[in-house]
Amino acid sequence: MWRLIRHSLSSLFAVCIGLSADAGTAPAVVPNGVILVKGAAPRSSDSVTPLPEEGKVADGRYSNAYFSLSYPIPAGWTEQPAGPPPSEGGSYVLTQFAFWDREQQRVRAQVLVTAQDLFFSASSAPSARELMASLRRGVVPQYEIERGAEEVTIAGRTFYRVAYGSPLVGLHWRVLSTDARCHALTFTLTGGDKAALDAAERAMGGISLPKESDAPLCVKGYAHDDNIVEKTEPYLATRRFNTIPVRVTIDGEGRVKHVHVLSAFPDQSDAIIAALRAWRLKPYLVDGKPAEIETGLVFGTLRAAARGSAAGSGRL
Amino acid sequence: MKLRITAVLTLSLLLFVSQAFSQSDPGIRGGPPGAGGPLPSVAADNPLTILKFFNDGQSRFQEVDSVKGTIAGEAGKGLGPRFNAMGCARCHAFPAVGGTSPSVNPQIVDAGADGAINLPPSFVTLSGPVREARFVFFTDPAGNPITSQPNGGVEDLFIIAGRSDAGPCTTSVISQPDFASAVAHNNVIFRIPTPLFGGGLVENIEETDLLSYQASVAGNSFGIAGTFNHNGNDGTIARFGWKAQNKSLEIFAGEAYNVEQGVSNELFTQEHPTPEEERSLGLPNPCKLNATPEDHTNFNVGSIATLSDAVQFAMFMRLLAPPDRSPDTPGGSASIGRGEEFFNKIGCETCHHNRFPSFSSSITPSLDTQKVNLYSDLEIHHMGSTLADNVSQGAAGGDQFRTAPLWGLGKRIFLLHDGRTPDLLKAIDQHSSPSSEANTAVLNFNSLLSTQKQDILNFLRSL
Repeated sequence: MWRLIRHSLSSLFAVCIGLSADAGTAPAVVPNGVILVKGAAPRSSDSVTPLPEEGKVADGRYSNAYFSLSYPIPAGWTEQPAGPPPSEGGSYVLTQFAFWDREQQRVRAQVLVTAQDLFFSASSAPSARELMASLRRGVVPQYEIERGAEEVTIAGRTFYRVAYGSPLVGLHWRVLSTDARCHALTFTLTGGDKAALDAAERAMGGISLPKESDAPLCVKGYAHDDNIVEKTEPYLATRRFNTIPVRVTIDGEGRVKHVHVLSAFPDQSDAIIAALRAWRLKPYLVDGKPAEIETGLVFGTLRAAARGSAAGSGRL
Repeated sequence: MKLRITAVLTLSLLLFVSQAFSQSDPGIRGGPPGAGGPLPSVAADNPLTILKFFNDGQSRFQEVDSVKGTIAGEAGKGLGPRFNAMGCARCHAFPAVGGTSPSVNPQIVDAGADGAINLPPSFVTLSGPVREARFVFFTDPAGNPITSQPNGGVEDLFIIAGRSDAGPCTTSVISQPDFASAVAHNNVIFRIPTPLFGGGLVENIEETDLLSYQASVAGNSFGIAGTFNHNGNDGTIARFGWKAQNKSLEIFAGEAYNVEQGVSNELFTQEHPTPEEERSLGLPNPCKLNATPEDHTNFNVGSIATLSDAVQFAMFMRLLAPPDRSPDTPGGSASIGRGEEFFNKIGCETCHHNRFPSFSSSITPSLDTQKVNLYSDLEIHHMGSTLADNVSQGAAGGDQFRTAPLWGLGKRIFLLHDGRTPDLLKAIDQHSSPSSEANTAVLNFNSLLSTQKQDILNFLRSL
């Protein structure tokens, strides 16, 4: 009994003063608002090669080295909390901005920038154009189409635009998507304030997204058995039944130069990265000359969310 | 005097204006519980005798356990040595048996029942939610969390030591986990009971429908992309529990019986130790007071009594009707209708999905090809750092939770996985934080007029 009372008193004391009961030193405290125990998460084979999820905001612009994208944030708009990690279907929330009416504590409009890796898309859409056509079909009859799908040119790039809304809710959506490195790079503008939406769309004119870049060619489904010269299957010790989408860069000699695991548990990523380093493929030829390419693979349990790259992939 | 009247009038006017233009949670919907009864075909005893199974399961669900089953009013056998409460219905109580946390927390009474000498932890109070606790990380001897060693297992709040039926299981051989230290180190998280109404319908949604729905909303305009938790044995979709960690109602029942009440059973056959004991030498032998499993098939009796408690708990949950929703309360039918439209269009419905069919059922017609309006896609989603509990279960990481079914929300006192708030507005707000899939939907909610937000709140409390 005395042991219990003593334990309780010391515990009570610890709570009161916020210290551990031993030695009077400040306790190691688990921080609030930090995700320390992660589930499936992205991982790459080096820390230098840019990744889609690594964009950042500085000097009034959102910059993303992977896409060579620079996007000017409209004046008065603020960056919103970061989005979730890449999904097992290859979708990314890159960044988000909102225009708040602080006086009325109301959002006037927002911009969500996303990317869908077209190697892993659940829909069979092979391009931004098809994706927008699919979106247009999908929003009817829930919403009213206001315009599109149509082609527009922004900063010298072709975007596919769909505008729709809900008179009942009083919100409008303008969705603009373009192709970039076999991703559909999409800007979704939402809000009830048309002037704010116009301002956000005008700001897109200041986007920098070069057509030509040093990025490798993207080739869907290249890593199929006919093109693989040497292959070691990764050993995934624990069956977790998750889909693991992987982007690889293959150099001109057919070696795996870079691995980006979009979504996997750490032990799975370790095994996949280690195995892929030993792979050798036939060099991809452009005009008869070897070229560096990006392609996709799916490991783990194949589900609809990753069906896009299923054929001929190195899945287990 | 005149000045005072003017001041009062001005204050009243200000109050009126602010009430007229700001939305608020209507709170718990009044009236009868609208839940807790059997499915219609079960009430009609179709097939014959099924109602007896429901009634028997409901009765066992309300049974209070003691260690030996020999204390008056506590006929259930097998309590402890570690436990959170003395019976299922102690916690799954509101608005009816099978629900969730009641307004008066029974854990305070259970802590000291029959001579037990437990000290309720600071996070368990008489007016607070029923809580289960887990330590986020294992600790060093000083209680400092070791962040390379995730824990996440259930730390039962109470022990049987001191009870009149605890025999040699005294405080010299077993003690409560050091919750005060865990609180001081912010190393403890909480879960409240999930409501169980409509469990059989949830169990009978076909995987094809879940997977098809997931594929159909891929590429949505809200930045939402969830996944499923899977049963580790056969790889099929798991769907019960806050992180969808349990495959079936029977697994769910067996685990809860073992973990929450300390009753070993045919699904979880040994007594439940703390995670720390499990890493050491297990529970001390003087506290293993009954033959195992304590709950089992009863071979020497006939009829329904043959079945184990765990099987009958599952049957009770399976045959419970889904909760009623109100067509007009709160706020009137027009407001509720508008609220549902707003809810659907701003993105909430992408996860809180309302239109799954159940598969054909071999059990009873009310489970057979029915509409399941649960308002959940049963996927796990990243809910961000504000809601993260840093506990991993199956494929669900520290910030991933199953979309909580919203049916019955009008009759829930405590909200979110840990019961941190009774306020719907705060619960919605907490959906937004770094890494959350719900950020866009919450921004859309915050794009609405106050009257529109009120419609959504009315709709949610009509469920």
